[in-house]
Amino acid sequence: MRTNLPKVFTPLILVATISTLVGCSSDDDGKVTINKNPYPSTYTPLPSESVLFKNATVLIGNGKQLEEADVLIEDGKIVEVGKNISESASIEIDAKGKWITPGIIDTHSHLGVYPSPSVESHSDGNEMTSPNTSEVWAEHSIWPQDPGFQAARAGGITTLQILPGSANLFGGRGVTLRNVPSHTMQGMKFPDAPYGLKMACGENPKRVYSSKKVAPSTRMGNMAGYRMAWAEATEYKRAWDRYEAAFEDDNTVEPPKRDIELDTLKGVLEGDILIHNHCYKAEEMAMMIDLGKEFNYHSGTFHHAIEGYKIADLLAENGNCAAMWPDWWGFKMEAYDMVQENVAIVDAAKNSCAVIHSDSDTTIQRLNQEAAKVLYRAKDSGFELEEKDAIRWITLNAAKSLGIDSKTGSLEEGKNADVVLWNQNPFSVYAQAEQVFLDGSKVYDRFDEKYQAKSDFMLGQPSLLENATKNKAEK
Amino acid sequence: MNLLNKNKLAKLCALTLSLSFASQFVLANSFVIKNATVHTATKDGVLKNATIVVKDGVISAINPRSYSQRKVIDAEGKNVTPGLIGAMNSLGLIEVNAVARTRDAGEEKADITFDTSIAFNPKSTLLPYARKGGVTSNVTSPRGGKSMFRGQSFVANLSGDFDSIVTANNAVVMDLGAKSKGSRATDLQAFIQKLEDAQEKLDEKAKKSAQVSEDESKAKDDKKDKKDKKLKRDEVIINELLAGTKTLVVHADRATDLLILIDLKEKFNLDLVLVGASDAVLIQNELVKAEIPVIIDAYRNLPSSFDTLNASLDNASILMKAGLKVGLYVGDAHKLDQLRYSAGSAIANGVQPNAAMAAITANIADIFNLDTGKIAVGKKADIVMWSADPFEISTRVERLWIAGDEASTETRQDALRKRYTTDSDMPRAYTK
Repeated sequence: MRTNLPKVFTPLILVATISTLVGCSSDDDGKVTINKNPYPSTYTPLPSESVLFKNATVLIGNGKQLEEADVLIEDGKIVEVGKNISESASIEIDAKGKWITPGIIDTHSHLGVYPSPSVESHSDGNEMTSPNTSEVWAEHSIWPQDPGFQAARAGGITTLQILPGSANLFGGRGVTLRNVPSHTMQGMKFPDAPYGLKMACGENPKRVYSSKKVAPSTRMGNMAGYRMAWAEATEYKRAWDRYEAAFEDDNTVEPPKRDIELDTLKGVLEGDILIHNHCYKAEEMAMMIDLGKEFNYHSGTFHHAIEGYKIADLLAENGNCAAMWPDWWGFKMEAYDMVQENVAIVDAAKNSCAVIHSDSDTTIQRLNQEAAKVLYRAKDSGFELEEKDAIRWITLNAAKSLGIDSKTGSLEEGKNADVVLWNQNPFSVYAQAEQVFLDGSKVYDRFDEKYQAKSDFMLGQPSLLENATKNKAEK
Repeated sequence: MNLLNKNKLAKLCALTLSLSFASQFVLANSFVIKNATVHTATKDGVLKNATIVVKDGVISAINPRSYSQRKVIDAEGKNVTPGLIGAMNSLGLIEVNAVARTRDAGEEKADITFDTSIAFNPKSTLLPYARKGGVTSNVTSPRGGKSMFRGQSFVANLSGDFDSIVTANNAVVMDLGAKSKGSRATDLQAFIQKLEDAQEKLDEKAKKSAQVSEDESKAKDDKKDKKDKKLKRDEVIINELLAGTKTLVVHADRATDLLILIDLKEKFNLDLVLVGASDAVLIQNELVKAEIPVIIDAYRNLPSSFDTLNASLDNASILMKAGLKVGLYVGDAHKLDQLRYSAGSAIANGVQPNAAMAAITANIADIFNLDTGKIAVGKKADIVMWSADPFEISTRVERLWIAGDEASTETRQDALRKRYTTDSDMPRAYTK
């Protein structure tokens, strides 16, 4: 086992002498290991009481729907979902005519790294200085005071992955957050969620770096860039593996030189870090799947995947999730072939994992309606889909993509009590999230200001209209 | 004589044309829709079991005792609304944003004279996509360049025909407010001075012509006047703004900017429209008093800049309750199908459904003097029949008419979907 050195108290001079080992720790026996979690989550659920929701239409998130059903949550977990639950709870909510879904999960957000207001000082989402910036971590850019977090919470978002931008072949690590107000990033960090590595195909990297007269400037340059990086990462991993094996016999053996950039790629090769690949086009996704096979890692989730529908079978066969917009198109050539049924076509393949993401501080506030667009346009075109199917795209499938589906994403017993109470069918344009629970604690209430968090930034702004804030006029 | 001949020829041609196409036109765009739930977007609200009579592409009667049209469409109680009107987007000027050679909305040197109507492409794939969302006409806005003036907008219908421009240069579009370089004061000052200088010239001229009429030695001054009369093109446009004959559309958000614009409207009698206007809620009374309409994005609710701290989902409702004329817009021409959803969102946040419908039809028509946007006698037969509630995501457009002609809602996206969902042993490229 590794132990953390109390680095804070380490004299400067000592830090200098072990500079190649910064971020590593030495076991008592002198073995050097890499600390995989140096910025650990400090999130703890808010105070909670047991809650029993009565007589709601319940979308479980796994493809099942219950009518006139009850949901019991206690100690932050889903205790029971079913008809006529007899157990009592501290709080009973009459949910007749209302709908309950799992907390909504967005696999692709830039809240906190491209926050509101979008001023120069806040533009922290993309280290566009080198085609491979696997060494940067989105969590180190997050401004937890982004008012967008609260707006997203009002739309039922309980979990979201914050990704770096897509200018680079390797944009750096993404982090999964609980959508709970906090004044530190660590206070929002989803405990034990795997890191993501943002990769990007296509137009963005080749455009950004060709303008800087640096490779890549073509799609083949993109592929070459990935392959060279993975080849190097393979060597790096091998060096560490060799060190660890050699240490068994000889505890004086020197560890390899630490490389923060390669740490991340090594984490992917070891299966600890999941790939989240900005990739629009069918032919590129097909190559990225092979690239993963070439270097022995899984190609993960394709984000945006405008042309996912062209390779739905391939995605399913290879266990790739695709996280898509319902209808964004036309802003680039690689986004020209959008079809409104993309998500439904990807979803229709056996063993598929279709996800709807926002990539937007606006649509993250209504991911339910984003899913509704796909549901109904697909139904118009003859797909047999219902609400219980569509909800998976923004709950359980999203959780799978993030590697947290054992903890959240569906209202199954024992899972985290991430619950949204909607005033009506969440796939209606008129739907509003009335209450949002995160690990069993209420984090938002549309009709109770006590549960409407406010960012430091918005606090005390003299120009803000008195009494015009959300929901006061209602009820 | 030459002129006379030309006129005669034109008349003859018109006659021949109307004869040869007469039967086709009359049949095509004269019809009746009966048993409709009609959302008039007027003070008449929603009419149940209503009949709309369309004659030669124009709504000629509503609920008449009888009609002569042979073509009758039974709406079976479905919702029928005016065609929706997009505004303040680049429809027809951009195909793919990142492909420079498909972009005609902006120009670094664009100024107040920038006229993009001549670049409008009615064959853009964005038009059928917008039709699929129930949109039948659009106020297309230039993106401009470095100047505070983006240029001039134009009105087009979405028929996809080559003659679909309804009005070119219908309004001047400009930006005021926060700047990434320099101060907002510079633009405000320059604009104010432009108006003042032009007004001064007009006043002087008026004074002079009053004097001249009394003057005996007129001939000499006439010559000089003629020289003066040759105004520059931008001056002509400023004068049109001052005369109130051309609409001025200003994208601005902060209350201080809006208050200056209110003053300018009062002082120079401008036909002023505000777009964005997130601080409008702070100065509702002033805007109502000055009768200034606002066009807003119903989804905008984040403090994306220090000018928009008051952006909120409640703003549409607040401004309507105050008595302002409010239009809604979606700025992304690729997403005009969202227009009705944004109105639905406004309803979810306190706007009455009839008012929400007007905000994406009649109010935009009123703001820009368009002959559409209402189910009312004399208006163009731009009509949409919906499968259910027009604001709902589950609803789709069933039929759509532009000036009485039925238009297709099939899109390029539909063709792609069909290709990739049709079973075939051959490569997809053979499925057409």
